[in-house]
Amino acid sequence: MEELFVHRPAEATASGNGPLHGMKVALQPNCSVAGWPADAGSDALADFKALEDATIAGRLRQAGAVLCGTTRMSEFGFGLHGSRAGEAVRQGAADAELVLDLMGESRLAALRASVFGFKPSYGRLSRLGIIGLIPSMECAGLVTADLEVIAKILDAVAGADEMDFSMPAEPAADPEDGPIDPSRLTIGVIAEALQGLDDDAQAGFRQTLAAIRETGATLLDLSFPEFSLFPLAHQVVGAVEASSCAGRYDSVRYGRRAPGAKNWNEMYLRSRGAAFGPLVKSYLFQGAYFQFERYGAFEAACRIRSRLVARMDRLAAQVDVLALPAVDLAGSGNAASLGDTYARFGATLFANVTGQPALVLPPCPGTGGAGLQLTAARGGDGRLLALGRHLFNGRGGKA
Amino acid sequence: MDFEAVIGLEIHVELNCATKMFCDCPNRPGDAPNTHICPTCLWFPGAVPRLSRQALEKAALLCLGLEAELQPVSAFDQKVYYYPDLPKGYQLSQAHLPLSRGGGIEIPGEDGQTRRLRIHHIHMEEDVAKLVHEMEGRLPISLVDFNRAGAPLVEIVTEPDFRTACEAMEFLKALRTRVRYVGASECSMENGTMRVDANISVRPAGSDRMNTKVEVKNMNSIRHVGDAIAHEIARQSAAVQAGEAVILHTRLWDPDKKATVPMRAKFEGPCVPDPVVPVIALSAEWIADLRGRLPEMPAVRAERFMACYELNGEEAAFLSAEPEVAGYFEALITEGVAPRMAMHWLSTQLMPAVRERETALDACPVTPARLGGLLKMLARDEINAKAAREVLGLLFDEDGSPEAIVRRRGFGQVSDTAALEQLIDTVLAAQPAAVADFRSGQGKAMGFLIGQAMQASGGKANPKVIREMLAKKLAADSIESP
Repeated sequence: MEELFVHRPAEATASGNGPLHGMKVALQPNCSVAGWPADAGSDALADFKALEDATIAGRLRQAGAVLCGTTRMSEFGFGLHGSRAGEAVRQGAADAELVLDLMGESRLAALRASVFGFKPSYGRLSRLGIIGLIPSMECAGLVTADLEVIAKILDAVAGADEMDFSMPAEPAADPEDGPIDPSRLTIGVIAEALQGLDDDAQAGFRQTLAAIRETGATLLDLSFPEFSLFPLAHQVVGAVEASSCAGRYDSVRYGRRAPGAKNWNEMYLRSRGAAFGPLVKSYLFQGAYFQFERYGAFEAACRIRSRLVARMDRLAAQVDVLALPAVDLAGSGNAASLGDTYARFGATLFANVTGQPALVLPPCPGTGGAGLQLTAARGGDGRLLALGRHLFNGRGGKA
Repeated sequence: MDFEAVIGLEIHVELNCATKMFCDCPNRPGDAPNTHICPTCLWFPGAVPRLSRQALEKAALLCLGLEAELQPVSAFDQKVYYYPDLPKGYQLSQAHLPLSRGGGIEIPGEDGQTRRLRIHHIHMEEDVAKLVHEMEGRLPISLVDFNRAGAPLVEIVTEPDFRTACEAMEFLKALRTRVRYVGASECSMENGTMRVDANISVRPAGSDRMNTKVEVKNMNSIRHVGDAIAHEIARQSAAVQAGEAVILHTRLWDPDKKATVPMRAKFEGPCVPDPVVPVIALSAEWIADLRGRLPEMPAVRAERFMACYELNGEEAAFLSAEPEVAGYFEALITEGVAPRMAMHWLSTQLMPAVRERETALDACPVTPARLGGLLKMLARDEINAKAAREVLGLLFDEDGSPEAIVRRRGFGQVSDTAALEQLIDTVLAAQPAAVADFRSGQGKAMGFLIGQAMQASGGKANPKVIREMLAKKLAADSIESP
């Protein structure tokens, strides 16, 4: 069996003695740790070594965590093809993994490993030192077998970073983390989020909802007619952003220069052409198409995104938490086409479009592989985790 | 057929900020290559740009200085193009939501009327790296210097309001003055802190059609901008006359050949909003506060000079063109020097001397206090103009007050009539012919006699006193003569 870690430091020790003392955290090679290879799974960055720590890597170490290495990731973390996210936790090699979440990768990796997956609110974690593909949608997600670990890590690494102006200086106030009264708990269910699930998964998810109702919570059916537009908004906006932003990965100052060019312009162009794998390349082509040939469609997608964010905010404000299914919609086989990739993340990518936090609980046995995905308004991470703990314990802590 | 040119300018101004636009590296592009670089301005993976507050303030101040309207919301976009001076593949620029819109400058037109040339918008952007092409033996090599990568720039895009090369040159001079006034940039085409691209098209005179334009680059002085525009108008007019089509492309000005040569097809794709640099929201209070920091602008200052100091329009415009000159002039006034004398000495004596010594007005040792001291001695007739000019030269090289230099060097002017009496008698005795000429009504003989007396005094006599005494003596003698 291939070694799980693609990079392991010679001496994995913690520098600090803080709240995460001794906790083993596995990273992906897109999270900069000074001196570690950081190719983000792409030939375009082959042999690139990070010059400085990502803010979150530095904070993990200061809090006492042991950074135990990096595991294989898909190219720039886009999709799960070729990724081994979740395995380190499942095998007990790490207490937690940081997994880049562009459309739900950390949450589906958790589902695959039958553990917890959490994507924090956009802006909650510093981006400094995180190498990715779609800056406005991606975020370091957490995969762990212990819900408490998520809250502890979030406490240690979240919050303003003077090196990242894109974060709010004052994070949005987390709704009060007071005691939870089950009888006053309202959980919203978006009917449209169940479309696209097969019968088993639908039945499984309804079974999960029934279990929640038994804890005394009220279920509120909500309507989100435009829910089906999430994949479209994600794909058009994400592809254009990726196409433009991936220009920075030149594969010349690092990576592999393509040989045989007559001049340096040609060398740059050839190297870019050779650097990216087929899935990312088709994504970048698609983005370039919208940017140069259908700019109006890109602008329309941006407007649709704003509408989706506003609608989701209104729904989230009506309830304590929203419950959606968490399903891996992977088709048969190992295809990694753009269409298959988007189809697979149909249940999770909404949170990347809106920037809201999302927590995936492992599925109960006999629920057709449908896990429970909880989400709240952007910035409500702490309350969301508390409610997730409550609901998980309510069903007897069964995974 | 008569042709009319339609010209618009795109002017890049490099802001004189302490740091680059998105990182803390020093903004000193001229230093040893690749000494001011970091993961952010090298655009290494994982880097996050952080917009400099000073760059935003200087850019906004520049907008106000050009009477532009700061936008409450502006944002950065990614301008995609691939070239080794921009290895990240896109430039952070403001394409969709620029920092300001509108604005303009009034210039004196060729018909004497003032003409307002409008600005379309002003946006911020980062500079790119500098390419250096060298030969290593017979192998051509290209080097990239990242010191300039990420340097803060603003781009001023005008409306196509210009019709002649002359208007473009006048506009650029006035723009340079204003940018220097607000202290945002040295704004020198010679050292590359101002770079001008001109978009030029021609059409039959009187038409209001907009024809295909050609972009001209690579001019490194305002004069070259004028030459390049004039050349391009002539070239396009001839081409259209000959029935050739003008195609959209970029040409380079070759100052040696005095001609524009084709460079490349012009290509511009749409810009994508940058997802990382936060949107810039300017509050009304912030803008009001910034407006309060705006200095008195040149046109306003020139008007005040005319009203307060009785200068004519040309003199006032000259004195207010450079903030250093205007400041120096007013400092002389504060020292108690009469405005006209201050204007005269500043423009005809001090500034040529400063230029000759290759220094700057605000760096030269002749401070307003020292020059003021000298000019006050001149006004009090303690020295004469010739001596004052000599002392001015000495003020550059010697320490000490002008009074001390005059004393030490014996430049003090002799106005004592008793001391001059004898000197004048000697001159009159030695020049009977000139005396006779004067008496026969030839007034110019007086000038000759004054010159002789001045020479006899070694240049120290007060010419005014000499003239008075000579006049009195010659008149008296003529009465006494039979």
